[in-house]
Amino acid sequence: MYKVDPPPAAKKLRELYNSAAFVHSHIAHFYALAAPDFVLGPDSDPAKRNILGIVEKVGIPIAGEVLKHRAIAQDIQIMVGGRSTHPVWTLPGGVSKGITEEQRKDIVEKAKSCVEFAKFSLKLFEDIVLANKAYLDIILSDTFEMNSYWIGTVDEKNRVNFYHGDHRVVDQNGKEVFRYKDHEYLDYISERVEKYTYLKFPFLKKIGWKGFVDGPESGVYMATPLSRLNAADGMATPLAQAEYEKMYKTLGGKPVKKLLATHWARLVELLYAAERLLELAQDPEITSTNIRTLPTATPEEGVGIVEAMRGILTHHYQTDKNGLVTKANLIVGTTNNNAPISMSIKRAAQKLIQPGKEIGQGLLNMVEMAFRLYDPCFSCATHSLPGEMPLIIEVINPDGEIVHREGR
Amino acid sequence: MHTRIIGLGNSILTDDGVGIYAAREIRRCLTEIGRLDIDIVESEVAGFELMELMAGWKHVILVDSIQFEGLEPGTVVRIEPDDLHTSLRLRSVHDIDLPTALELGRRIGLEMPAKLTIFGIRAQDALTLGESLTEAAERGLNEAVDLVLKEIRDSRFEIQD
Repeated sequence: MYKVDPPPAAKKLRELYNSAAFVHSHIAHFYALAAPDFVLGPDSDPAKRNILGIVEKVGIPIAGEVLKHRAIAQDIQIMVGGRSTHPVWTLPGGVSKGITEEQRKDIVEKAKSCVEFAKFSLKLFEDIVLANKAYLDIILSDTFEMNSYWIGTVDEKNRVNFYHGDHRVVDQNGKEVFRYKDHEYLDYISERVEKYTYLKFPFLKKIGWKGFVDGPESGVYMATPLSRLNAADGMATPLAQAEYEKMYKTLGGKPVKKLLATHWARLVELLYAAERLLELAQDPEITSTNIRTLPTATPEEGVGIVEAMRGILTHHYQTDKNGLVTKANLIVGTTNNNAPISMSIKRAAQKLIQPGKEIGQGLLNMVEMAFRLYDPCFSCATHSLPGEMPLIIEVINPDGEIVHREGR
Repeated sequence: MHTRIIGLGNSILTDDGVGIYAAREIRRCLTEIGRLDIDIVESEVAGFELMELMAGWKHVILVDSIQFEGLEPGTVVRIEPDDLHTSLRLRSVHDIDLPTALELGRRIGLEMPAKLTIFGIRAQDALTLGESLTEAAERGLNEAVDLVLKEIRDSRFEIQD
């Protein structure tokens, strides 16, 4: 928008902040919002199927490590950007402050601890989830499956990059079909409006909107941790790359369409974010004082795209000559997934609700799992004490009559 | 550490910032009377971070905007921690809720407040972008500040020399 390129140190600081944000958010999501289903079981007592049940199951020391590393990541964000939420340190052309050598060393030690914790988390997932045939069957079942396009940001070697790169779309076979830069997004993404909601439904413009269906003829795409890994050829850090390879080997190759694998992908991303945090903190340029290029051009219009924890995040602004916003379009992480979310819930309900099968708490929870995997916002609303969220399932016969209603 | 007051809210969403502004006014009042022993924090967090803000304090007073149905805008209510189902912020959709946060802190051995007092101010408008309060919320802020100051005066936790 200001036609200015920040200095390398400013970009590295911004990426460092974003990496720390990924660490704290992915830890919170997995342990508080996703893990209860797997550690305690999808049919377990709703009153225990939450983070307190996790504490009871894994023990206080591990729970303490969860909270510790979440807090460590936020400490890094505060150190770098002033606040862990709504930072006030980015400016056109760079950032307002750098970090000292003392802070850098502190971040290095914190990042090392986060790497170890990410490795531990993947091991925990392997031991508790993958080693449990019942859970693995749930992950591999077609109850939670989507045959959509997948989108993620990649670097010049097509490796996952949360901060900068081309935005790559692959098809149902994992083949690249589109690739665009920030300012080209409107040539590739369009948004459909439905009268019953303010939230729009993004789709691939060149494929077109064909309704709430998946498949190569439908422009519905997904933007999640699993999408990012599906859309890339690998990870840019060694430990995460090894876990990426293990995941795809276990699940039968790319792309993975089994949506519960999103939780596994999230942990691979956690490891990548922690490794990247360490790389950046060990980069000598990270303490440079050259952290801003003053803009001189009159602002006009700009597009910025990064990977947010829940999916690709697009901001598009037009401004007047004073930089005051006159028009804005935001496609946030979860918005990308609006259509897939509805489709996933419907598919799970159709697969799980069968004639003669009792509709109870366990089944309701499994329907919830279909959308909880997309976004922490939805996840936490369903795992707050005592494990309730408003959920109603109505079974309707061909005449449109409600024959069964279950809810809480 | 004895008493911490946490003003919660989003200061760019009109009445959603009432907790923040209340915290500032409380700080001004307490400073005037020399009560520098009370810690006052302005925050936009919930869940895990709110748990961390409360840990280590014997008495925590939260001030936040609420959306209770049936209440006139500007009404101030004292809320028990278990009765938070109609508060948007204290039951944030981006995090665990307040009762969970309190219980989690206790279970992992953090020293959570022995006494938690929550004052909610019914918002008139918590959705419009803005950095000032509606008249109703302004009235509620003044009442909430008085209640918080009274709560501190009546508190059984005395300053230890």
